[in-house]
Formats: sequence, C-alpha cells, structure tokens
Amino acid sequence: MSLRRFTRTPEAVAGVVVLALLAIMALAAPFLFPGDPQSIAGPALVRPFQDWAFPLGTDRLGRDVLAELFHGARTSLAVGLAAAAASLAIGTIVGTLAGFAGGIVDEILMRITDAFQTVPGFLLALAFVSVVGPSLGVVVIAIALSAWTGPARVARAEVLSIRERDYVASARVAGMHPLAIAFREVMPNALPPVLALSSVMVAGAILTEAALSFLGLGDPNRVTWGGMIAEGRAVLRTAPFLSIAPGVMLVFTVLGVYLAGEGIVENSAVKRGLA
Amino acid sequence: MPQFILSRRTLMTASAALLASTALPSIARAQASGGRLVVAADSEPPNLNPAIVASNGVFFVASKVVEPLAEAAYDGKDGLAPRLAVSWEGAADGLSATFKLREGVKWHDGKPFTSADVAFSALQVWKPLQNLGRTIFKDLVAVDTPDELTAVFKFGKPTPFQLIRNALPVVTSVVPKHIYETGKIEDNPANIAPIGTGPFKFAEHKAGQYYRLTKNEDYWGENQPLLDEIIYQVLPDRAAAASALEAEEIHLAAFSAVPLADLDRISKVPGLQVVTKGYEGLTYQLVVEINHRRKELADLKVRQAIAHAIDKDFVVKTVFLGYAAAATGPVPKNDPQFYTPDVETYPFDVAKANALLDEAGYAKGADGKRFTLKLLPAPYFNETKQFGDYLRQALAAIGIDAQLVNNDSAAHQKAVYTEHAFDLAVGPPVFRGDPAISTTILVQSGIPDGVPFSNQGGYKNEELDAIIEKASETLDASARTELYKEFQKKVAADLPLINVAEWSFISVARDSVKNIANNPRWAVSNWADTAVEV
Repeated sequence: MSLRRFTRTPEAVAGVVVLALLAIMALAAPFLFPGDPQSIAGPALVRPFQDWAFPLGTDRLGRDVLAELFHGARTSLAVGLAAAAASLAIGTIVGTLAGFAGGIVDEILMRITDAFQTVPGFLLALAFVSVVGPSLGVVVIAIALSAWTGPARVARAEVLSIRERDYVASARVAGMHPLAIAFREVMPNALPPVLALSSVMVAGAILTEAALSFLGLGDPNRVTWGGMIAEGRAVLRTAPFLSIAPGVMLVFTVLGVYLAGEGIVENSAVKRGLA
Repeated sequence: MPQFILSRRTLMTASAALLASTALPSIARAQASGGRLVVAADSEPPNLNPAIVASNGVFFVASKVVEPLAEAAYDGKDGLAPRLAVSWEGAADGLSATFKLREGVKWHDGKPFTSADVAFSALQVWKPLQNLGRTIFKDLVAVDTPDELTAVFKFGKPTPFQLIRNALPVVTSVVPKHIYETGKIEDNPANIAPIGTGPFKFAEHKAGQYYRLTKNEDYWGENQPLLDEIIYQVLPDRAAAASALEAEEIHLAAFSAVPLADLDRISKVPGLQVVTKGYEGLTYQLVVEINHRRKELADLKVRQAIAHAIDKDFVVKTVFLGYAAAATGPVPKNDPQFYTPDVETYPFDVAKANALLDEAGYAKGADGKRFTLKLLPAPYFNETKQFGDYLRQALAAIGIDAQLVNNDSAAHQKAVYTEHAFDLAVGPPVFRGDPAISTTILVQSGIPDGVPFSNQGGYKNEELDAIIEKASETLDASARTELYKEFQKKVAADLPLINVAEWSFISVARDSVKNIANNPRWAVSNWADTAVEV
C-alpha cells in the first residue's frame, strides 16, 4: 500500500532513481574503471565527446574525467552517508540522554549542544580538518562534529514526551535499569522524527565534503568532486567542462537525496496518519 | 542649506581644466611619453623596504623607488648596468671592493645621495637585517668613504668579487642614512612608504586597493622617467587579472598573474601581448626534495630510479604548458656564467627505474607496491601542486606508493624545513645568478633546522661540502666557475635532490606599453624608460 503511495509522488520517484543511478555508479566504478582513477590516461585537456576513449574528456594532466566522476561518486556517497550516520548516532544518543535524564545532565548536554550550534558548522569543520590534517576519516568526523546538534535537539524533544508515557512508567516499576529504559524503550520510539532529518543531513554532508575539497582540505589521495571543481577553476575560461561536470553531479546527488528523503518522510507521515 | 555658488573664477578654472584634459592626450602622443601605467599586483607586502626584504614581491613595487648600485642587463660588462654606482672593482686579495658612485643624485626629500648612505645601508641594513645580505656580506667588516662618491667595502676574509658582483642587483638597494639613522631600522615609517633615489616617488598605499607612485622630477636619468604615474591595482584573484586586461582596466600583469592555461587564449586577443622575456634573472627551479633519513631514499639507486621515473618533457609540456625548460642540474640552463650540460642525466625510462629498484633490493609486493612514501607538494604555485599529482602517478608506475599530504604555506614550511615530516617534497627554490646566493644551501650539510629553502633532508656529502667551501674562498672568477661546474656534476651524480624543470614568469601587456622586458630582471627593475602610448 505504502509503496503504491510512494510511487504516486513523482518527485520521490525521481529522487530514488537518481540515487539508484549514483549508487550503481559508485559500486560499478572499480569494475568499469579499474586501477587508479587519478592515473594519467591520455593527452591533457581532451574536450568532451571528441575521443570516445575519454567520453567526457581529460583534465590538465590527462586524467579521464569520466573515471574520476565515477570514483568521485564513491567518495561523495561514502562521506555523505558515513558523516550523516555518525552525526545522527551522536545526536540521538546525546538527545536521548539529555531528555531522559533531565536535570543537571540535561542542562550540561544541552549547553554543550548550544555551544556547538553557535559556531558555524562549516567553520568548525574547516578548523578541525586544517588542524588534524586532511584524510577521509578526518573529513567524516569534521562533518559529524558540525552536524550532530540538529538530531540531538529533535531527539531530546521527542524523548521528553515519550518518557511520560505509561509503558515507560511500567518499565520503571518493573525495575529496568534507567539506561536500558532510555535506549531500549524510549530511543527506538523517538527515532522516526530524527531519521526524517537524515536526507537533509546526507545532502548537507555531501556539500560540506565538496566545499572542503574545493578549498584543498579533502583527502588528496582520492578523487572528490569538490577537488575536481577546484582543479578545473584554473582553466575555467578554456576548459569549463572540467568544473561543470562534477558540479552537475553534485547538484543531481544533493537533489536526489533530498527528493527521495522527502518522499520517504511524507510517506511515513501519511502512514502514521499525520498528513 | 549650503548654497552652490558658481563664481566666474570657478567657471573659468573648470573650463580651463576641461580644455587641458582634451589637449593632454595629443601632447602625450607627440612625445610617446607621459601617462599612467596601471599594473596588477597580487600581494601587498607588509614591509616595502627592499634593503631588508630582498624578495620579488617587494621589488615589484619598491624597485621603482629605491635603487640598487647596479641592475642586471642583457648586454654590458658583467651583465650589469650602472645605477647608483658607475663603476666597481674588486681587489686582487679579495679583501676589498671599490664602488665609484653617481654624481648629482638626490633623495626624494631633496638631500644629496653620498657614500655615507651606501656605508650605512651596507653595515646597518644589508649585513645584519637582509634575508640574502646576511650570507653575502657575512665577512664585511667596514665601508670606507674616502670621499663623497667613493665607497670601499672591506672584508675580514677573502670574498670572491664575482659573488658580490652577481648579487649587486638583488642585495644592494640603498636607503637614506638621514632617514634611517634615528630609531630602530625595522620600525622606520619609510619601510611602509619608502624614500629612495629612484625614478618614481612613493605617493600612497590604499590597503586592498592600490599603490600609487608618481614621477620623480629630479631623477638623475636624462629625460627619465617617461611615465607620470604607476598604479598597482591589487587583484589577488588570478582569474581577475586576465579579465582586467581584456577590459582595458590594466595595462600589464607581470609575475604570471594570468594563469598559464589562459595564455593561449589571451595571446589571440587583439591589443594584448604575451611576453616571456624579462625574467631571466629570476629563475625558479622545480625540485624534488628528498629526506635522506628515510633508509630507502638514502640508497642512491632508489634516487636514480625516481629520477628515471620522471618524464621531464611531460612535465614541461603538460604542467607548464611549454613555458618551462627541462632541468639537468642545480644551475639553470639560462645562466650565462655557471651552467654546464656536462653532467649525469636521467632519461625517462620506467623499465630501467624498475630494474634499479629491484637491484636495490626493494622487490614489488603482491599488490605491486614496493614501499610507501609521504609526498608534500609545496602549495605556493599551481604548478608545484600539479607536479605533486603527476609525481604520485609517476612513482606508482615504478611501484612506489606516494601518499600526498596537502598543507598551507605555513604548515608546509614547518613540516618540511623544521619537523622534517616528509619523505619527498616538491619545492620551488630560486636561482639568483650565482650558486652561492641561494643554491648551494640546498645541498650543503650543517644547516640549522628551520631555515626555509635549505638542505633539511639530512643529506651529507663531505666532498660536496668541500667544493662549496672552497668556492666560497676562491677569488679567481674562472677558477670559481670551474668549482661550481664540479658542484653541478656532483649533485647530478649523487642526487641529493632531483632538479626537474626550471621556469620563470610571464607578463601579459597591452600593446601600448613600450620598452618592456628590456633587462633580465625587468619586472623588478626601475621602469625609468617604460612608456604608455596613448
């Protein structure tokens, strides 16, 4: 039933299709373009659609743009998903603890959240990466650091209402450990609204990763779309396709993630009878 | 409410000004002189005193205001043209050098220029404070001034006059004693608004916007300068310089302010010319710096393999788009005095590189890799970063897995020159006309940690150190040149570092700018004969 409803929203379907294509790209990259995508494959600055060995042309060093795009999809999606998952995890745990414990614990955790929220997220990520040094793991942590506060607030609000429910009271009476109540009984029920944030978070994480790479703070040993745009900038006037191609990929990815996410949220909202 | 009063007098002055403004261009055309030159500047150095900071960024603006004793020249004795000195001679024992100074030169504040200014600059500024002067004038003990127009430099140890001569254009910017003798030299306001003897006076600096220099009417050069005014328009974004040239907002973008990739397109724009001359005295070298503390890299065979793995022609053609030359050793090919092609060369040969690594005992593992290295490309130029990307691929082809580490300028300098946290680094040292100025330091041992652009790779070769030491005491110019040829051979044979390419800057100018690139340091020379046709 819900699948039918889902397929009736065209934008959600479009989003899922785009995401599926991206996932296929990311998964197929090592088979379609084995070896290092950054290896020099041909003459430099071949224009797109000229030489079918390089359908999208080559960059300033002669690297295959199409291969870079495919491998870049891996980085973007991996970072996007990992960073969003990490920030959701941190946020939910912090939010649940704060909401369930209340009192001084709540106060402390929420003031820490406030402190993180007052620093612009991107600035925080920028500072973190430039201090620790750019690598994929560091970039994921940096993005998670700047994005966990949203889920934390949502989770706390939800937990505040759930903890007054009867089944929580009965669990208390049954003598369950408070932490067990918090994470077994309360958190699973507080999750749906938090998960509704995930599409925005993945999209945001992908954009943040691209921005960091654009500024030269991505992992230099991996292809990233942001890095490709930055490299293409030097030849923007003579070879604009080098920046346009990864830029278009970014737009589609973020759009796809967002549309698919919206579709899912709306769908679940309908299912819960809220819409 | 203020009332606007239009008196007959203001009306007349206004109309006179209007008349004058229409009349001016025709006068300018008749003389092929005058006018205002607008050039792009990509940085604003905090200290504009070239006697303290002898760097291109400072010279670009300050060399028009503060002059050296002599300037580099394409023709002329010793490759020099006289500026504040008219003649120079080194004593046979290397213990003194005599400079005859130009007569009738005045500082911009009207005071006469004398040998006392030279003595003051040499002893109080160049020797103790200047980045390059500290090495070159390290044995200078006194400057005698027998008369107002003679300065005799006295050295405590025999100092090759060839070195002093080659360094004259870069290290001898003369500053006025009467301005600098009171207070701390480093804090003198003239470091920000320089006062000199040059063809242009420093007028103003609007931070983030422009520098303005105006004509020095009392300049010693006959009928010079030709320009009335030079404006340095601050354009930190490299893409902006090209557009500004096309929009006719600026006349000139020097120091490769226009990216190499844009040159082909811009050379076809009518009214613009791409000039590659005028930088021969400022050659940058693309160098792979090697950390010899790493046991694999301490092995000569491994270094030879890396040298064979680099396709220098590819680097010149692709990274530099042809605006560079492949290097053979530590002295660039365009140096007229010291360069020798008679050194060990390492033609691009992947098979040979692989064989050398096998011989050295670093067999390929199951994954095709022999060992992993940390590679730090210097962030100063697009080209050094791109070469880093290329080198990673070139090393992958011979089974060396190079992991790139990107840093900003400060972090890169710290990592390479202080903490030695690198295996390979890509650096752009500068050759300044004599190997003793900034080249031998790249391979000499015993340099303290933290000195940028020096041997921080832990390399020690006593033979090479002995040659460098001997050359620094050899007074005879030809014997000294021979020693530096020997130096080049040794460096090319033992590869303390790998010289890949040498390049210089490119200027793009409007056709209306005349007399450009007429000396080997043109962009940082005084521009007294530069003109803009209206």
